[in-house]
Amino acid sequence: MKPLFSSFLFAAAALALAAAASTGTDPGISFEYHRYDELRKALVSVWLQCPTITRIYTIGESFEGRELLVLEMSDNPGTHEPGEPEFKYIANMHGNEAVGRELVIYLAQYLCNQYQQGNDTIIELIHNTRIHLMPSMNPDGFEKAASQPGEIKDWFVGRSNAQGVDLNRNFPDLDHIIYINEREGGANNHLLQNMKKAVDENTKLAPETKAVIHWIMDIPFVLSANLHGGDVVANYPYDETRSESAHEYSASPDDVMFKSLARAYSMFNPVMSDPHRPPCRKNDDDSSFKDGITNGGAWYSVPGGMQDFNYLSSNCFEITLELSCDKFPNEEMLKNYWEQNRDSLVNYIEQTHRGVKGFVRDLQGSPISNATISVEGIDHDITTAKDGDYWRLLAPGNYKVAASAPGFLTVIKKVAVPYSPATRVDFELESLMERKEEEREELMDWWKMMSETLNF
Amino acid sequence: MASKRVGLFVLLQLVVLNVVSQTSAFPTPTASADDKTVYNRQLTEERPLQEQIAEADSVKAAVQSAESKQPATSKDAEPEQGDDFTMLKSLADGQKSKEAPEGPVKKGDHQYVPDESDSTKSRRLADDYDSTKHGMDYGKYQDDPESFRQVDGTPLTAEDIVQKIANKIYEEDDRGVFDRIVSKLLKLGLITENQADTLEYQVAEALQDLITKNAKNNEIEDMDQESRGEQDNLGSDKDAWETPRRRYDEEDDDEVANNDDEIADEVDRDAEEDVDNSWDKEKEEGNEVNPEDGLQDLQYFPNFYRLLKSLDSEQDAQERETLITIMKTLIDFVKMMVKYGTITPEEGVSYLENLDAMIAMQTKNKLGKSLVVPDISGLTGKNFDEDDNTKSETAKMQKEYENLKDSTKEEQPSTETNQPGKSETYLEAIRKNIEWLKKHNKEDGKNDYDLSKLKDFMDQQVDSYIEKGIIAKDEGDTIKRIYSSL
Repeated sequence: MKPLFSSFLFAAAALALAAAASTGTDPGISFEYHRYDELRKALVSVWLQCPTITRIYTIGESFEGRELLVLEMSDNPGTHEPGEPEFKYIANMHGNEAVGRELVIYLAQYLCNQYQQGNDTIIELIHNTRIHLMPSMNPDGFEKAASQPGEIKDWFVGRSNAQGVDLNRNFPDLDHIIYINEREGGANNHLLQNMKKAVDENTKLAPETKAVIHWIMDIPFVLSANLHGGDVVANYPYDETRSESAHEYSASPDDVMFKSLARAYSMFNPVMSDPHRPPCRKNDDDSSFKDGITNGGAWYSVPGGMQDFNYLSSNCFEITLELSCDKFPNEEMLKNYWEQNRDSLVNYIEQTHRGVKGFVRDLQGSPISNATISVEGIDHDITTAKDGDYWRLLAPGNYKVAASAPGFLTVIKKVAVPYSPATRVDFELESLMERKEEEREELMDWWKMMSETLNF
Repeated sequence: MASKRVGLFVLLQLVVLNVVSQTSAFPTPTASADDKTVYNRQLTEERPLQEQIAEADSVKAAVQSAESKQPATSKDAEPEQGDDFTMLKSLADGQKSKEAPEGPVKKGDHQYVPDESDSTKSRRLADDYDSTKHGMDYGKYQDDPESFRQVDGTPLTAEDIVQKIANKIYEEDDRGVFDRIVSKLLKLGLITENQADTLEYQVAEALQDLITKNAKNNEIEDMDQESRGEQDNLGSDKDAWETPRRRYDEEDDDEVANNDDEIADEVDRDAEEDVDNSWDKEKEEGNEVNPEDGLQDLQYFPNFYRLLKSLDSEQDAQERETLITIMKTLIDFVKMMVKYGTITPEEGVSYLENLDAMIAMQTKNKLGKSLVVPDISGLTGKNFDEDDNTKSETAKMQKEYENLKDSTKEEQPSTETNQPGKSETYLEAIRKNIEWLKKHNKEDGKNDYDLSKLKDFMDQQVDSYIEKGIIAKDEGDTIKRIYSSL
């Protein structure tokens, strides 16, 4: 008893001490730049440390053959659990904007550590979300930028991919189409038609761009952010101006929600949300920045960007995070950038659990995939995923949410949406065939009776 | 007159047959959505049977015939559909319920709409009709007062048809019904003007009769009206057919739901039992794997140990095992309570001390034996022993820990030549994972059983990662080696 007990307790204490000894402010994170191989190893280490909640996969190769690595974190890595929303961070699509790349690696390490240390918020987040972390969409560019001699890195070297393509101008320009549809009528979402022609056979698309487009189409992402450098602000759609002018506030149908999402990031970043922060460069025009956020078009027009592509081709809401005045700052600064962004990065993932979510099924209980979820007053519909599950991000308010699908009768429900968590709203749709079948059966019965009566 | 009647009858038969042949192919659901809407509306509103039939038939007729008169969906237009062929067909139908024209007809409405038994009855009706034609036995179903058949089984006569029209006019309270029917017939050239006049006259007569008859049959009517009224209330926005079906379904669903709940409860209970069993099993397995360790634990309960020793004989072997299990369970339980903070370690310790003392006492009382060495007074003595054991336990654990570290140290030299530092990070990561697993598993009451599973899983994953280019081959080998050394 006593010896047994105390020995056990002693052993436990010893282990705890050992763990504590290695922890500083953020244990197990080395704040340094990771080249491709080091990046790979860092992700593998996270996976080795937390194999039950992580999985590494690749969405394809860069032009020079480097893997576009993703570390996913969830309680069931590798599977989409029905009803569990999917989230992604993509960084370093401009190879010389290095802070985001590092932050994503640190975040992976941090989430794993915190999970094992019993951080309830993190545990909850990992259990209820499927988080995908891509530290670098442009590893070739990064290598080029990092290989530059000297401390100061060029503003441009390494920005584009190995082919010289600016990946953030390389996505199919769906803004253009939506603006036409706004004027003349047409679809309000899912504008990417004909994957084969528009993507696979499109010679203008870089392999990195193609890989990401396929990724976006494969996984029903709900929320996303794309990490950049060169300024400090959270930028939201639309990026491209309607009138093709250089600066113009270009609101999307979900302008209210996007502002809320952008603020959810900026408010935990003391630099970003600092109202008295001087602009990064003396002559910068940051007049559009408010509370650390800005509309894309109001700042400057960006056609063919990944952020708007997400919003207009899929159900995913994406914002762009500019995280450092310096695109490729000194390594010693990295710890500071981590401190500034850590809470924002975690809080932003939590934004996935807002609005309404649920399932759309038929009367037999089978899921209806690709059903449309539309919200009255917001001209942007989303669709249900394979298991009939959907997540519609909405700011607090009262809404009428309609679920419809071809061959089914539409159902509309009223919902009062709080700030968070997401409100569960399920739909059961009656199919037209069912209705017709009922009618047909009635008719058949009548006909049978009649024919028997009249003997024909 | 008679000949005219017969002629009319023949014509009507022709009409019926005509309609039959035209409508022999069942109309497709896609045909004339408007008709469908109308049709549904009819049923949903619990219109009288005749009208329902009439309308439904008009749908078919409209579909088949060239002159697709699009029935207006407004309520006003309804009566227009209940005419010509459909009317006649309904006549044929209603004709069967000849006894009390109004009564059975309404009863027919009543029973036609919701009930399965209807079809049975109508089938009998058909047979009856058949038999009539062939002059066979038609009195078969004479007992059944509610069927559609005619009492004497004779076929439709012109008179019947007239009667039907009259009924319809009476119900509709609209003389226009007749006009419409007749005009249709005239248009289709099925009757001549003269025949139309005759028909009119006959219908008028029949109508008069109807009115007087109805006055007499008020009671029956009222009853039927009430029953129909009920149904009107029931079948509100869906078909009346649907309502009973649906209610039936709902009841079913409730039952099913109840069953599900019960099943769920059972499953839960089963799951709990399973968990308990597996937990116990693991305990036992653990015991089997490390028998010596287990008995070592029990060493700290000297009285218990002595008790065990005293049960050396074969008979007592079973009892011995049971006692060991119980004791171990108790110990683990107390451990867990301490872990979860339900009791403090001191409390746990004192509990177990008391337990041992209790065993001594009980043994003394029950078995009449006194276990060797003064038990109660020996507590202090035990303390000494315990302290020593504490130290040895600690030393043991530390050694194990160092062994782990040592093994990893052994690994380093071999991999150092390849990529220095990389294997260290991997080692570090794996170690953290194992530590966490140990801590986590201890909390859950599991033991190292999962380690082999983890090893297999990791091997598998490493292979797949190597294949995908996420891990280099030598890195993968390193990882596998680390895991196999655990």
